[in-house]
Amino acid sequence: MSERVLVIIPAYNEAETIQEVVESIYALEGEYDVLVVNDGSSDETGTVVKGLDRAHLIELPYNLGIGSTMQTGFKYALRSGYGFAVQCDGDGQHPVDAIPALVERVQKGDADLVIGSRYVADTSYQPSFSRRVGKSLLSRLVDALIGGGITDTTSGFRCMNRKVLAVFAERYPEDYPEPESLVLLHRWGLRVVEIPVEMRPRQGGRSSISPRHAAYYMVKVALAIFVDMFRKFTQTTGDHS
Amino acid sequence: MIDGAAMPMGISPSHRIAFAVLGLVTVAIILELVRRDRLKERYALLWMGIAAGALVVGVFPEIIVKLSLLLRFQMITAMFVFSFLLTMAIILAFSVVISRLCEQNRKLTQEVALLAHTVKKLESSQ
Repeated sequence: MSERVLVIIPAYNEAETIQEVVESIYALEGEYDVLVVNDGSSDETGTVVKGLDRAHLIELPYNLGIGSTMQTGFKYALRSGYGFAVQCDGDGQHPVDAIPALVERVQKGDADLVIGSRYVADTSYQPSFSRRVGKSLLSRLVDALIGGGITDTTSGFRCMNRKVLAVFAERYPEDYPEPESLVLLHRWGLRVVEIPVEMRPRQGGRSSISPRHAAYYMVKVALAIFVDMFRKFTQTTGDHS
Repeated sequence: MIDGAAMPMGISPSHRIAFAVLGLVTVAIILELVRRDRLKERYALLWMGIAAGALVVGVFPEIIVKLSLLLRFQMITAMFVFSFLLTMAIILAFSVVISRLCEQNRKLTQEVALLAHTVKKLESSQ
């Protein structure tokens, strides 16, 4: 199996920060390919990435939303034969220097997906109140469903192997995908672990979640997870390129 | 008990003819839309079924009367309830159709983006 690692960055109007994020990934020790999936940005995100030397760029013709954007990246990673994929935001919040630790944990082979978690001891991350309430309720629900051990179910800073890529390429929730995706993996019998990472405040742009959205987010994800419990999953090969 | 439902009051032969004509016109409009490729056969069948239902009920309003007796509704209430349920069923069917289209659209968009990337790579390697 290929040991190549692809870092997938979903980008929606991240022109201010994307270059720094991509370059800091290339500055890491070890070989990482970078794919930016531009989700129909209205700013210069696409142009900025085109100007970067080695970065792969996939441009969605219009704004599809975070879930479908990530799934495009998963499909690309799977079809291009990458052994591992890392999911990392383009706004500079995710600590790029923690990527090797995430990858190493998956490569060890006792986990299929590793979450870079904000809540595991020793991180000073302080999210807003509404976000904290919504996320903790949701996290508890998801954590209970998948048998415990995960505190940060909404983190979008994760590393996964090809088994996970195959599942996600086939089925990935459309918006606020992370918690539901963990339940999906659990249903497939794949193993999820988390390790602590230190999150940084975003370097630019704006958060996609407002307090009003937080309520919708809770209900929508809870419903999706509830329905998933009654859904039959059929085995697919995943690789169909 | 309410006995207003007992008799098909106020349904005259001219009413029946009017309902029958309405049903037939609906069928004609649907067929014309299909002929002009403005309506898919799949959805045309749904509307044909509804038009046929309206036609049957229009010509034989006794059906509604019997139903309203059975349910102990007033006739007007029964008609309202049935048309409401029917409308909701159609809207639900359309939501299902829209959801399927969304899913197909999402897959298509992803494939287009992936293919565009492959094409660019091939072009630059030539």
